[in-house]
Amino acid sequence: MTDDMKLVILAKRLGAAAAERLDVGATARTVVAELRRQPAPRRRWIEVHWMRVAAAVVVLLGGGLIVRQTVTVPDVNEHPNHLVADDLGDLSTDQLKDVLDRFDEIVGSTTPLLDSSSDLRELNDEQLRNVLRSLEG
Amino acid sequence: MAHPQLQTETASDTGLIAAWQAGDEQAAAELVGRHARALARYLSGAGAPDAEVDDLVQETFIRAFRGVDRFRGQCQFRTWLLTIGGNVLKDYGRRAGRRKVVPLDESVHDVAGDPHEHAVATEAEARLAAGLQVLPRLQREVFLLRAQQGLDYVEIAAALGTTPGAARVHYHHAVRRLKEMMG
Repeated sequence: MTDDMKLVILAKRLGAAAAERLDVGATARTVVAELRRQPAPRRRWIEVHWMRVAAAVVVLLGGGLIVRQTVTVPDVNEHPNHLVADDLGDLSTDQLKDVLDRFDEIVGSTTPLLDSSSDLRELNDEQLRNVLRSLEG
Repeated sequence: MAHPQLQTETASDTGLIAAWQAGDEQAAAELVGRHARALARYLSGAGAPDAEVDDLVQETFIRAFRGVDRFRGQCQFRTWLLTIGGNVLKDYGRRAGRRKVVPLDESVHDVAGDPHEHAVATEAEARLAAGLQVLPRLQREVFLLRAQQGLDYVEIAAALGTTPGAARVHYHHAVRRLKEMMG
């Protein structure tokens, strides 16, 4: 008999006494009673996983809120020139031409809205209103 | 409930599992009756203390029945049960502070005849049990599934989520190391 075969025979004997001592009937009764006492593992599994999903959603939303509050978002009103530039960038060539033509009309108007020597700070209310109206088209 | 007297003698494990899933408690009891002793031998061989074998067998069956939806017939029910038993034993080991308990089985019933032969066999079994505790878990489980339970490598590989070739390698490593340790 080879050593390998002896090893297999010994392995087959391992635990034989424990198996003999086992009260199979009592084990079955205990197992069934325990399963009856705590049934429905599937439902519990689903509940646990839904709880995990809900927790993940809460963490994501909370994290997003915190990030939004901590990261400074530039106030758009602080940079009107950028907005104007952005708006102009969206215009087509024809639209840009129209804008320039309109600008030329304002600048080259036969009825000047204001004197060339004056600036906006020196205009009265009536003159300012006229300028704004002309810009609105 | 179905007719337990009719089903218990003839139903396959798969049929009993289906009956249990449909609410037949007798089917669960029948499955325990079929596989409890093999499971006890496996757990004991894998290092379960004698005093804990009954509880570990119960815990294994309870865990198996609760997770029976995960059993896809990739291997025999018994093989799947034994791998769950391995996990239960591992968890027990953690709870018990990873203490190594070597089962010294003093009452081997199937060694008949000469008391000296009996003593030698018992001593050899104790050395084998001690050697198994030193092996990596995968080698130990493959060795027991192969040598003690008589399973083929395909079945072992399906149960442990490995390949038959890898299972064969683990077995041969285990045998080599056990022979070295048993000298």
